[in-house]
Amino acid sequence: MTGQKDKLFYALLAATAAIFVYLISFVFLKTPVAQLQAGGLAQKIFYFHVPAAYAMYLCGTVCCVSSAMYLAGPSDARDAVARAGAECAVVFGAMMLTSGPLWAKKAWGVYWTWDPRLTTTLLSVLVYVSVVVLRAFAGNGEAERKFASALGVLGTVNLPIIHYSVLKWGGNHPTVIGQGGGGLKHPAMLQALLTGFVAMTMLAGLLLWSRARLALAVSRIARLEERAIASGELDY
Amino acid sequence: MTQAQPDTGTATDPSARSTEFVAVQGGGDTTSAATLLVTAYIVMWALLLGFVLMSWRRQGRVETRISELEKALSGSGGPKGGAAD
Repeated sequence: MTGQKDKLFYALLAATAAIFVYLISFVFLKTPVAQLQAGGLAQKIFYFHVPAAYAMYLCGTVCCVSSAMYLAGPSDARDAVARAGAECAVVFGAMMLTSGPLWAKKAWGVYWTWDPRLTTTLLSVLVYVSVVVLRAFAGNGEAERKFASALGVLGTVNLPIIHYSVLKWGGNHPTVIGQGGGGLKHPAMLQALLTGFVAMTMLAGLLLWSRARLALAVSRIARLEERAIASGELDY
Repeated sequence: MTQAQPDTGTATDPSARSTEFVAVQGGGDTTSAATLLVTAYIVMWALLLGFVLMSWRRQGRVETRISELEKALSGSGGPKGGAAD
């Protein structure tokens, strides 16, 4: 079973690497430059920025579901997946929060503005950072796990607020796709974005899988150590 | 091919120094889009590589704990409680 899982993991890894190579070459060589008001050449950040935001939503949702399941019935596997979800949400959130301001510098003239979407996104990423920090430094006890799970659920409650903040409160952040958006006016732009979504989904899957596996291994070792200490076979 | 000459003097010319500051439209936009684009891609991939590196190091710590556990248990004759779930 482990051998099959490894094969699947390596196949997914190879496919992800291939799709990223294709995506980067497509974005730089085939996708046209957008209008100057959208940032001109810097608008190409969009093809990674938006999929990174989507991957953060995805990892946040995984964290929320696993956290809620952990609160309903604690298990090491649920805790490991929730922890992995929060960690990956932080990584994709950081990718989004660093690429966005670099694009904004060209499109808006400033790196950062306290726009509703930017502010709510920062808040959400900070909630996931707090989950990661809590799990890293506050120990591995039942109370810490439950508190982190509650935070994980709270962080995801904020995600729909981020999504609808532009429609509700306006702001500078563009709304190109979905409700109120004009869409991408060139087929290559749409293809680049869709490829970006596929690539980031696969990357998120890989990272979630490997981090959850690692977190589960840590939990299993901790339980083994506890048993060994309790039975007097280990004295540390 | 002729080049347009700047209407101000060089930095060493005292008569060329600014005597006042006037606000201009779009004057702050000096960063090139290409630089921002490349910086964004480098930062994103650096973040990802940093995360993979952290995972690798954490895996190393897990392996160290397993080795210590194995060493301690082999010294005491093996676990009595069986494997954890």
